[in-house]
Amino acid sequence: MPRDVSHENKKTPRRHSPLATSQSRREFVRRSGVAATLAAAQGLAPIIFAGCTSGVPAKGQPIKIGLLHSQTGTMAISETSLRDVELFAIEQINAAGGLLGRQIEASAPDPRSRDDLFPKRARELLSGGTAAIFGCWTSTSRKAVIPVVEEFNRLLFYSVQYEGNETSKNVVYGGLVPNQQVLPSIDWLLSAAGGLRKKVFLLGSDYIFPRTANFIAKKYLATKGLKPAGEIYLPLGHREFGPAMQAILASSADCVLSTVNGNSNVGLFAGMASAKIDPDRVPVLSTSIAEDELRNLLPEQVQGHFAASCYFQSLPQEANRQWVEHFRKEFGYDRVTGDPMEPDWCLLHLWKKAVEKAGSLETDAVRAAMLEGLSFAGPGGLVTLDPKTQHTTKYFRLGRIRKDRQFDVVYESPTPIDPDPYPQIAFPGWKCDWTDGGLTRGPEITIDGDV
Amino acid sequence: MFYSVYELPTHIFAILMIAFFVGFYWIGALLLRPILRQFVKHTKGANDVVGYVLSCFCVFYGLLLGLIAVSAYQNASETGTNVTREAAALSALYEDVSRYPDPYGQNLQWLLRDYTRYVIKYAWPLQRQGITPVEGTIRAQAFQEKLLDFTPQTRVEEILHAESLRQFNSFLEYRRMRLFSVSTCIPSVMWYVVILGAVINIAMVWLFDMKFLTHMALGGLLSAYLGTMIFLIAAMDNPFRGEVSVSSQPFEALYKHMVEE
Repeated sequence: MPRDVSHENKKTPRRHSPLATSQSRREFVRRSGVAATLAAAQGLAPIIFAGCTSGVPAKGQPIKIGLLHSQTGTMAISETSLRDVELFAIEQINAAGGLLGRQIEASAPDPRSRDDLFPKRARELLSGGTAAIFGCWTSTSRKAVIPVVEEFNRLLFYSVQYEGNETSKNVVYGGLVPNQQVLPSIDWLLSAAGGLRKKVFLLGSDYIFPRTANFIAKKYLATKGLKPAGEIYLPLGHREFGPAMQAILASSADCVLSTVNGNSNVGLFAGMASAKIDPDRVPVLSTSIAEDELRNLLPEQVQGHFAASCYFQSLPQEANRQWVEHFRKEFGYDRVTGDPMEPDWCLLHLWKKAVEKAGSLETDAVRAAMLEGLSFAGPGGLVTLDPKTQHTTKYFRLGRIRKDRQFDVVYESPTPIDPDPYPQIAFPGWKCDWTDGGLTRGPEITIDGDV
Repeated sequence: MFYSVYELPTHIFAILMIAFFVGFYWIGALLLRPILRQFVKHTKGANDVVGYVLSCFCVFYGLLLGLIAVSAYQNASETGTNVTREAAALSALYEDVSRYPDPYGQNLQWLLRDYTRYVIKYAWPLQRQGITPVEGTIRAQAFQEKLLDFTPQTRVEEILHAESLRQFNSFLEYRRMRLFSVSTCIPSVMWYVVILGAVINIAMVWLFDMKFLTHMALGGLLSAYLGTMIFLIAAMDNPFRGEVSVSSQPFEALYKHMVEE
């Protein structure tokens, strides 16, 4: 019977040929390897990619800004709170998604209340890619920083009241200028509400702001037919006010317009108390005292004196109450808000608005956006950036110091006052209008000269 | 680049590490094993020889891995202890200065709160990136300046002031230790030895003459455990990076107390 060999022929070589067996196993291994790799890739890819993306911050690099405030030295008493309110604003902006889809990263070096360190720190910040600087308190520090921001063509946001008589396209001024603070203060002192006072004693720290502010004050008093009862300047940080008190008593002054700054105020009010000068008879109206400075002063020494400002923590507006509550919840319930913290908050938000409007961090684009006019509803009311001067419109408010280191607002201007960094009574012919060529110069003025 | 693994969740980091080692073993078994086996395939009892050598190697390698793991754990643990001590010193200092007369007491407390807030909100995220935060020093200096500004008027104030200064020095010491720990990690050279050891270990397993699937399974298991060990060391290294790291919890608890007070 013939055998059917076809079946055997098919199977035999596969069972016995080493070559065929090897090929088959390699093929199996190859296919298994490819399949396993693909399966592993498919299985792990979502996990890997999910893991890689989680926790990675927004698109792009963070926006760097500089907070240039003294955290040690004589000005730390005032400037540290500005750093905090700026950090507070940045944290809120970041929590809300950032600016232009990017987080803001703040760097806050310490210029140690030394005017020589301000430009150095500013240069370090700007060299490191900082888009804008929020900083300075004293005018000497600001004037030291301006050439640096101009060199780098970046913006400095300055929130403290100052003397005016200055303009730079690289500075945005958020604080009061004399026509918004010093002149309304004098008006109030001379009014019936202020006690119809006639003998104003000018007392200040010895640097640019007090000297220029008092120069303007003297010019303004002259328009009222008055002369100051006296004028004294003491070094910044100076605490011995005994001789100044003797001078005030000897001059028969009926009020003191104080431009004393920093922790010198401790000495000033201690001197007033030890000289037994009654605030009802000779009140001090200070341009540089806010709630923060009051923390360092003894309530019994300052109660009854006055401060001129654009903002007080005790303002009854709901927006202010919420802001104060939020700040204190974040930084502690013994913390206070005041001027220039509120203007600083407003400035940072105005910058944010300008950057959003420009869609860019480029200084020229941000400035162009600002020059179109911007407003921000701050805790103390609506703040509008004046495109002509790069200053802000401000309410003028006068507060009387209470025992609890807060203020009773005794006067508030009916509307915000437009800024005028060059009041014509002091700087005739000088004008700033960035919408029309910038600065127009008048005749040179010597600040220290006789009025 | 390697530091980006610390941004991954721990379990993903572990899975990736194990997958890498097992994958490395499997790919090597497919591509390199046939070549490597040329060295031993004519040797009688090759598996026994490879087994002896591997055992000997594993003793040294295991010791190295074990010691490094213990060192990494001790380092992380010590950093955690220093952080707790810093927070404790800060807390004691906060209580001490609360007894100072106003306005000193309030201002000093405020500065300590500011420091604590900075550590939680700004210093810790930087430490997690391996960056030593610098602005805390400014805050500590601001506190010191204010503390030294105080002149005791009574015997009680003298004692209190002396105690505050002592406490402040302790705080500075622990703070400095925390900052030093930010850049503390296993030296690169040790990592090279660990990685080289892992590669030799795996290469030795490739030399075994076994059925292919057995090879893949046993070698895969060994590689998975190697990956786990190396993951453990990496996760514990750099005490402020990754999920397995020293947290800011002691400072957070303190700050909550400070703000609510």
